[in-house]
Amino acid sequence: MLEFIGPALEHLFTLENFLWMNLGVFIGAVFAAVPGLSVILCVILFLPFTYRMTAIPGMMFLLGIYCAGGYGGSVSAILINTPGTPHAAATMMDGHPLSQKGRTKAALKIALYASAFGGVFSALMLLFLGPQVAQVAAQLGTAEYFMVCLFGLTIIAGVSGKSMIKGIIAACIGLLISCIGADPMTSYDRFTFGIPRLYLGLDLAICLIGLFALVEILAKAEKKSGPLVLDSKKINDDGKITKDEYKRMIRPTILSSIIGVLVGIIPGTGASEASWFSYDRAKAMSKHKEEFGHGSVEGIAAAESANNAVTGATLIPLLTMGIPGDGTVAIMLSALMINGLNPGLSLFTTQGDIMYAIMIGLIFVNLFMLLQGNFLTRLFAKVVSIPQEILTPIIVMFCFAGAYSVNKNYFDVGVTLIFAVIAWLLRKLDMPPVPILLGMVLGNMTETNFRRALLISNGNPAIFVSSVYCIIFITLTVLAVAALIRSKLKESNGQVKK
Amino acid sequence: MKGEQSWLDRLDAKRDKIAEKLAHKEVSLPIELITGILFLLLGVVILLIMPKQVPVSDTDVINGRAFPTLLMVVMMIFSGIILLKELYNYFIKKCPLTTKKVNLLVEVKALEILAILFLTYLICKITDLFVIGAIFCCLGFLLYFRCRKKSYYAITLVTAVLIWVAFRFGLNVNF
Repeated sequence: MLEFIGPALEHLFTLENFLWMNLGVFIGAVFAAVPGLSVILCVILFLPFTYRMTAIPGMMFLLGIYCAGGYGGSVSAILINTPGTPHAAATMMDGHPLSQKGRTKAALKIALYASAFGGVFSALMLLFLGPQVAQVAAQLGTAEYFMVCLFGLTIIAGVSGKSMIKGIIAACIGLLISCIGADPMTSYDRFTFGIPRLYLGLDLAICLIGLFALVEILAKAEKKSGPLVLDSKKINDDGKITKDEYKRMIRPTILSSIIGVLVGIIPGTGASEASWFSYDRAKAMSKHKEEFGHGSVEGIAAAESANNAVTGATLIPLLTMGIPGDGTVAIMLSALMINGLNPGLSLFTTQGDIMYAIMIGLIFVNLFMLLQGNFLTRLFAKVVSIPQEILTPIIVMFCFAGAYSVNKNYFDVGVTLIFAVIAWLLRKLDMPPVPILLGMVLGNMTETNFRRALLISNGNPAIFVSSVYCIIFITLTVLAVAALIRSKLKESNGQVKK
Repeated sequence: MKGEQSWLDRLDAKRDKIAEKLAHKEVSLPIELITGILFLLLGVVILLIMPKQVPVSDTDVINGRAFPTLLMVVMMIFSGIILLKELYNYFIKKCPLTTKKVNLLVEVKALEILAILFLTYLICKITDLFVIGAIFCCLGFLLYFRCRKKSYYAITLVTAVLIWVAFRFGLNVNF
């Protein structure tokens, strides 16, 4: 590890990287602050920009968006009682009441400090745990890798929507889409329907702009929301946090950061689960339980540190095994792979200088988030009230320009529109889009390992149960499915009782 | 401007009239049944077109059809489960079909937006000038939102040009 630190710092400390980091943090915070705009949407819209960058600045930019998105959602949650992102809902429980007590700036500061702590803690965990997990992952063969992919796909299919079965069908669709184009092993064309443009397959960014961004536009515009009124005078308090409040923040912040990391490592779970779980833990352990829901500093600190502690942790399975912890980092995988960085031990050995630069960079991303949050809070707060009439066409133009810029042709824009229509129809059937995304991202890896394993075994499927790791992952998959079915049954029984 | 306003007013009045008619019209879709049948059929179609769409060599032990075939079989099995579950609930348990109410007004509005998106795409493609499509897109959405504030028109139009400038000169995308 130490041999990579020097070259990594050399790669990282360039003006270009720091500019992209800050731009990413700024854009991520702005996007997340606006209710209805999500971090995943932001990452998708700006993904085409990174295609022209090298790995480090590209990843710094996307990680800036991702991390600041974790904090930005709290701005509108505190100011207008509307979470900018779903995971900021737990922050809202105490953030807005504290704001109503005339301590808006203090609430925003607590959220910022806790977010930054959670983010840095998570980045450090990635730095220390990543290489260790990668060494374990290096022992996996093709059959084991196929099982890992299956495990990741099953969990995400299970937690992404109301129905696990629909999630699995959606994952199959995503995997099928990834089959379009040249066969990864024989280079024969598949499902190209004689269209030459399809020989290279469908670019992930083009499909995702349709699946996630344009479909959001359709959904948003279907129901026009009223203007969000923000009284900027609310942020005029001194923002002072007392010594006692700082002391009370320490324990929930540290504990929630640990919870966030643990939750983040598990594929399929995310910041929302981490923040609610941490909020409940903090409440249970607090000496001031009565303050929860009425502006508790512990509540804000717990929720915010947990949701940002997820950011580095989700990268651990991504960088070591290629299994994205959530939808947003799944998109980042394509930014990595376009630069020839394939997940696994080689990332930490042969390309260690680049990888360590990215991991150390994540710490700086969080520090810049702290700086920007301190100085630009008022600006982030103002964007909360940008009217939908202005935002909607701007996002659409970004979508079109982004889709066009990938291969510089309008065929791709047409494909984006087709995907938007498909996503819209799937929404009507309550089909979750995240398993489609994961299927598309993992498609190539899943198929290649599936076929290689069968080639090695001369077509004998027993290879998929031939090693300890295979059995472990099969057991984990079965246990995860059982747990998911149990929780869904509980949920439906609860609804019947009600 | 006065003439323009009255033209907008007339357009909005027409839209209001249609909206009034559609506002309370709802269609119940048996979504589980549709999902089951749709993906079962999709699986069958993909399997049928596979021989034409995926060429293979006789020497391959595991060819390019193996993985998509496996996917389609899995998809068909799960679609079948959805379908059978729904039919079992309906015929044996005598439960009503799982339905989702779709409001026609909401769907028509979504179609309006889709129309704006497709027209923007066509304008961009035919003229080969993104900026013209972008301007149409801005105007289309502002009219859709019944926006009358001149400042909003100015902001979005300037942004349209700025996005074109950013991509054209920043990313060297010639459109």
